Amino acid sequence: METSDKEIIIKIKQGEIDYFTYLVKRYSSSIYRFIGLKIKKKEDIEDLVQNTFISFYRAIDKFNEEKPVKPYLYQIVQNELKMFYRRYKPIMPLKEEIIIEEVEAEPLDDRDLVALTGMEKRILILTGEGFTNEEIAKKFKKPLNTVKSIIRRARIKLKIKNEK
Amino acid sequence: MKSNKKLEKKIIDKVYRLEAKKTAGYVLLRLFLGLFFILFVFFLSSALIDILNEQNSFDLLDFYRDDLEVIKRYFISNISDFYRELPQPLTFILLASILVVLVLTGFLIKNFNKIKNRLISLYKFYINKTK
Repeated sequence: METSDKEIIIKIKQGEIDYFTYLVKRYSSSIYRFIGLKIKKKEDIEDLVQNTFISFYRAIDKFNEEKPVKPYLYQIVQNELKMFYRRYKPIMPLKEEIIIEEVEAEPLDDRDLVALTGMEKRILILTGEGFTNEEIAKKFKKPLNTVKSIIRRARIKLKIKNEK
Repeated sequence: MKSNKKLEKKIIDKVYRLEAKKTAGYVLLRLFLGLFFILFVFFLSSALIDILNEQNSFDLLDFYRDDLEVIKRYFISNISDFYRELPQPLTFILLASILVVLVLTGFLIKNFNKIKNRLISLYKFYINKTK
């Protein structure tokens, strides 16, 4: 009499791993044929069949023996196939030439600066000359955050003026 | 057909290799932890007994040799005195270690058949392979 899948699973869960041979013998050829319909290379098919059974073995402790084995195995096959396709997805190499458009900042016009206060003007000019915020803060003996907010305010004013 | 047999053999080989690694890891880890905690309990209890001997704390338990009336009268007070004389941190560490040893032993008893069957299966497989 043939041992049922349920009995085999129970035996494997009890540590009698030789019973796994029955499952392999029972399902390996149908799984092989199923994968063979989708993949042509023999080595890949064999790898996938092996991975399927190994994954099943790893999950066997959590597997409910009341449920049928076949659908579960085919679900693993589907996942393995998905992973296989993902691994061998054709990749388009990126072109190495990347065009970088350099946008040069327009120099500040004196007419633009009319809207700014004296302090804002001086700080903004120093920023344009390449001074860092810390250096400007030291020069004007003002806290760094104050300098930052003066610069931000001045830029907003200039932006509004340009939009007009 | 022949290639299918080969594939089955490959799968079974892989499963056994995986299981051998898993079982070896499990058994070795449990053995190491068990031995470590048993030794730890042994050293801690001998240290605790030494301390109690130095303090003459065991004298508090001598009343057990007396008759039942005396035992009844002094039982609670003597036991509470003895408890107070115990070095608390050491005692708690000892109790925790004993608990770990008991839990490990419980796991071992619970999984004993499973581990035994696995080891037998692995043994049979590798014996057949070497033949």
